[in-house]
Amino acid sequence: MSDIRRWFMKQHDKGSGNALSKPPAKPETAAAVSKTEKASAPPQKPSEKPSHGAQEGSGRRKTSKYFSTPNSEDQSTKQKPKEESTTERTPAKRKAQKVIDESHDVKPPSAKKPHKVEDDDDFVLPQEKKTAASVCLPKKLKSESTRVNNKASVDMEEDNEEDIDNEEVGSPLKPSGRGRGGREKGGATAGGRGRGGGSGRGGFMSFGERKDPPHKGQKEVPDGAPDCLAGLTFVISGTLDSLEREEAEDLIKRHGGRVTGSISKKTNFLLADEDIGGRKSTKAKELGTSFLTEDGLFNMIRASMPAKPTVQEEAKQISIKKAEDVQSRISLVKVNVNDNKVGESFLSRKVAPGGPPAGASPAKRKGSISPTDSLTWTEKYKPKVPNDIIGNQSLVKQLHDWLKSWDEKFLHTGQTKKGKKQIDGGAKKAILLSGSPGIGKTTSAKLVSQMLGFQAIEVNASDSRGKADSKIFKGISGSTANSIKELISNEALNVGTDRLKHPKSVLIMDEVDGMSAGDRGGVADLIASIKISKIPIICICNDRYSQKLKSLVNYCQLLSFRKPTKHQMAKRLLQIANAEGVQVNEIALEELAERVNGDMRLAINELQYMSLSLSVIKYDDIRGRLLSSSKDEDISPFTAVDKLFGYNGGKLRMDERIDLSMSDPDLVPLLIQENYLNYRPASAGKDDNGVKRMNMIARAAESIGDGDLFNVQIRRYRQWQLSQSGCLASSIIPAALLHGQREVLEQGERNFNRFGGWLGKNSTMGKNIRLLEDMHTHILASRETSLDRQTLRVDYFSLLLKQLTYPLRMLPKDDAVQQVVEFMDTYSLSQEDFDTVVELSKFQGHPSPLEGIPPMVKAALTRAYKQGNSSRVVRAADLITLPGLKKAPKKRIAAMLEPVDNGAPEENDNALVESEDEGFLDTEDQDASTSGESNVQLDIESSKAKGIQVQLDLKNSESSNTKKKTPASKSKLSGVAEKSERNSGGAKRKR
Amino acid sequence: MLWVDKYRPKTLDKIIVHEDIASNLKKLVSEQDCPHLLFYGPTGSGKKTLIMAVLKQMFGVAVEKVKMENKTWKIDAGTRTIELEVTTLSSTFHVEMNPSDAGFQDRYIVQEIIKEMAKSRPIITKGKKGFKVLVLNEVDKLSKEAQHSLRRTMEKYSASCRLILCCNSSSRVTEAVRSRCLNVRVNAPTEEQIITALEFIGKKEGLQLPSGFAARIAAQSNRNLRRAILTFETCRVQQYPFTNNQVVPLMDWEQYVSEIASDIMKEQSPKRLFQVRGKIYELLINCIPPEIVLKKLLSELLKKLDSELKHEVCHWAAYYEHRMRLGQKAIFHIEAFVAKFMSIYKGFLIATFG
Repeated sequence: MSDIRRWFMKQHDKGSGNALSKPPAKPETAAAVSKTEKASAPPQKPSEKPSHGAQEGSGRRKTSKYFSTPNSEDQSTKQKPKEESTTERTPAKRKAQKVIDESHDVKPPSAKKPHKVEDDDDFVLPQEKKTAASVCLPKKLKSESTRVNNKASVDMEEDNEEDIDNEEVGSPLKPSGRGRGGREKGGATAGGRGRGGGSGRGGFMSFGERKDPPHKGQKEVPDGAPDCLAGLTFVISGTLDSLEREEAEDLIKRHGGRVTGSISKKTNFLLADEDIGGRKSTKAKELGTSFLTEDGLFNMIRASMPAKPTVQEEAKQISIKKAEDVQSRISLVKVNVNDNKVGESFLSRKVAPGGPPAGASPAKRKGSISPTDSLTWTEKYKPKVPNDIIGNQSLVKQLHDWLKSWDEKFLHTGQTKKGKKQIDGGAKKAILLSGSPGIGKTTSAKLVSQMLGFQAIEVNASDSRGKADSKIFKGISGSTANSIKELISNEALNVGTDRLKHPKSVLIMDEVDGMSAGDRGGVADLIASIKISKIPIICICNDRYSQKLKSLVNYCQLLSFRKPTKHQMAKRLLQIANAEGVQVNEIALEELAERVNGDMRLAINELQYMSLSLSVIKYDDIRGRLLSSSKDEDISPFTAVDKLFGYNGGKLRMDERIDLSMSDPDLVPLLIQENYLNYRPASAGKDDNGVKRMNMIARAAESIGDGDLFNVQIRRYRQWQLSQSGCLASSIIPAALLHGQREVLEQGERNFNRFGGWLGKNSTMGKNIRLLEDMHTHILASRETSLDRQTLRVDYFSLLLKQLTYPLRMLPKDDAVQQVVEFMDTYSLSQEDFDTVVELSKFQGHPSPLEGIPPMVKAALTRAYKQGNSSRVVRAADLITLPGLKKAPKKRIAAMLEPVDNGAPEENDNALVESEDEGFLDTEDQDASTSGESNVQLDIESSKAKGIQVQLDLKNSESSNTKKKTPASKSKLSGVAEKSERNSGGAKRKR
Repeated sequence: MLWVDKYRPKTLDKIIVHEDIASNLKKLVSEQDCPHLLFYGPTGSGKKTLIMAVLKQMFGVAVEKVKMENKTWKIDAGTRTIELEVTTLSSTFHVEMNPSDAGFQDRYIVQEIIKEMAKSRPIITKGKKGFKVLVLNEVDKLSKEAQHSLRRTMEKYSASCRLILCCNSSSRVTEAVRSRCLNVRVNAPTEEQIITALEFIGKKEGLQLPSGFAARIAAQSNRNLRRAILTFETCRVQQYPFTNNQVVPLMDWEQYVSEIASDIMKEQSPKRLFQVRGKIYELLINCIPPEIVLKKLLSELLKKLDSELKHEVCHWAAYYEHRMRLGQKAIFHIEAFVAKFMSIYKGFLIATFG
């Protein structure tokens, strides 16, 4: 009894998204029918059932017409080439035929017992496009039931389609712009954020809420052959039936497929369970991309089960290239015992065409590479010419140009003694290459100098690079530093070594940021060397912004190497793998490239290491290996928080979580605190009314509070042993409770983690407290009251605000201004204090306290206050503008106040202002008119009458101002020059 | 000049609200030796007024000749030197300061600065007292360490120095410090007393007080005399002559807190919590102390809450308030309280109304 599982993708009309048109399949249409003999695959039977059940159970599932439906299946079956159906009926015969006729690929039968199976796959491949928009994989589905099921769903779908379309139109899935640039060209990769890593949340930016999968976790996720999806590109759209998007992505990647963010011509499938008429599906229809449901994907994977041997057969017109493509999809091919020999012969034939020796048997490979094994691969596959360097070609070119023109630029001008003016300003005598380790800085430097015929002299951290001895005559026999000095200053020296071959030399100072305590004065010496150097100097460092290099940077032309993209890396790695005869697919290599974070050297090392034990390296191997030994990369707090809160946050190991939260123990908790409300906890499950979520938030909030308590213990009492507990409480527990999908809480907010608000708010609070404290001091200085700061804000402020603004609003202008200024004088409030009162009484959503006050009145108030300055009794030192200084003195210096005898408050208190520190005192005085002066005079006199003593200690100016009787009298002396300063000083406000 | 300050009694004799305490203090001070004093009681009950009156009683008007200084002290704390800026208000006989301003470094203030001040005898001894007085405000906000260092100072230098401590809650002052002082509890004035005070001011200002108006202000002041007087004057600025049904305005921040409370009661969701966080930040930025915010928020919530939940909510408010004092970032704890409240209340609503 042979079960025919069919499953194919119907193509849509290009450009016409019309739902009703059901055109005959185009040439590009891939239609495939695969047939498996049921007897050969007993282990599959059980797995088939649950998926089927799930399918039936998912009443919600909307299968659009773009998915395989019985009708279309029938249709296209008709269109299928005839030979297909014939072969189906006569498998055995065809088998033999096929083996002989067709170019066929057989993968090494690793770890498989010989198994007798015939599995036929017929391919009708697109004739025009290389990248097949099609896949044919055996599918196990009872066609009968599928048919029924689909029919039912088609009916339903007609109704629902429109709704869904509307619903999700606004959700174009775009990779974020925040990525570091490790993107694919065609469409952003799944990890398109560039920092999310494979296990991150993926780079999808979802606007609003993406709904939970309706049958979340209810289906059994199949396990297929590791490479069964190789070479295929998927795009995921909308909500899937049972998988979260991230899970689906991981599943595809694990099986060798590729997931991109947007549809392109290369995309093979659009994975979607409902036809949401979003951008993706429209584009897919335009491009003719096949649609695939989640179940379809499962079946695809399931069908490739290792237990079920598959042999692929190809249509006759398929080119060899195509054959390779197909071969990579089917990872495990069981070859019948009978067929073995034929298979072998195919192998040899296959290798001959000169493609990558992917099919070579391990034995063969080992034999061929053994002689060269002595070198590590990093050495062996080092770039030999500058063009080999991966990435940064423009920088290499720049380096090349610089080095090439060095001689004429610096040396010859120097020789003609025309001085430095000929050297154009931009050119620097040395160059500084910077970039993270393993991206080819040293290699570039060496290769370029080699190419230009320079002899490279490398000095790196293994040499002592301290300051050269002052006794330079020790010459090259002295320390390294001395020899460098000698080298750079003596052009003749290098000429002497090998005149013909290496007429010039170049000094490569490697790892200049590693100059440590042992290399005292190293950088300074290097700079000195650069100044006098007669040979080019190339400095190399990792961190260009290092404090140590601050001075050096000014003398060097800067070239920052960037990390190569993972595609560039994967390409090179593939070359190496091929040369070494290791079977790796590109997806796996891209994963590797991503994991090592741009470090080519590390990638090669990892590859070599893995090749020792494995001949075929798969995605999972790399994942498994690098999970444990991933490179310590610098992760930003944002990345860490993304990972902790990410969908897979719950699967992280404890040590990973601690590492993440420890990556910045100050910032990560703040980010967590800022953003934890935005996550819909995955662990809450069904949560209709949000009670569970609220409970979790309450727990998380308490835990964050715990984190704060820990932090106090750590910082205040230096209990650093608690830092792990602090991390646990402040970051890990909240993240563990609430990790899941992020959603936006406010309209128009971007769906990214916000930066912790606490820092900003805290500093604003600090500033306001300072302002309040200033005001508090002024009030205390007025000696009218002795309140504390808190009381001032909490109790007094409302009334103060009223007293200060109410008259302005209600009374006629002049009266109001006078009243307010009087009030301010009583409490010796300055204009800044007025602003403070207003500022601190502002509340979001409440009208501004200054509302309703005409600007004219405000201006009048300012004028009136300033006018009063000349006669005002100064009670606090910071109310005095010092002419010598632009700013007011930082703090009140001292103010001593004495009451008038009877204790009754009076405008002209005795005031003794003394300045201990600096400056000579002056009261403000604008446009010092004659009337102002007469006021002053009056003031002095009246003060004298009351026995005022005002002393001024004038230190700055020892001129005639040494002892003045009154601050106001200063105004006479202060010349016109000072006025401008004072006027500007008046407007100043410490913020 | 504000009425609060204008009608503040300057001497013990003039005090009308706590007459008994005033007379006792007067006796105590006039008998040459005066112990350390600890004044405690809620805000707006008249502690500061009493202290100033006592000082005046001790040293005469000279204590009103105050000098304000803002001095930076360099303190050698083992491995490093700490610079602390301290604002003091001092006369020849007394120094007033607020040591808790230094935050967690307050123990250095106590250990170094206060000790330094306590050591030296007053220069001018023409008065009868052979000691000077240190007035420390907000002692309850001092850290435990600081309070521990304080008690030795109190004993050792008692010959040349008296301490007058002032705080809101004696429970946060360690036992050791309390036992070294004469504790003076200054109760919040009763509403009748407040009304008397308001009427006294009204008479002095020559205002027409509608009957019951003073009572309404007193009721709203929460037995805080200072606030009552301030509110009284606010009313005066806003509208005069008074009318019977005149609205007694709330403080700006009180109004804001009650808005927050009604926000919370209306909806319990992460979104709302996020908005509430923003509003609480707003309050904190405007320098409203977090303790006061939490306390006010609780009382606003309690007004609207089912009596079933009151006990539990109070428990959690106390719990988070305690943690807030232990911690540093007040917003975290207030937010935790709000989250807890939302979770409780939401559960309650669903359990009750389905």
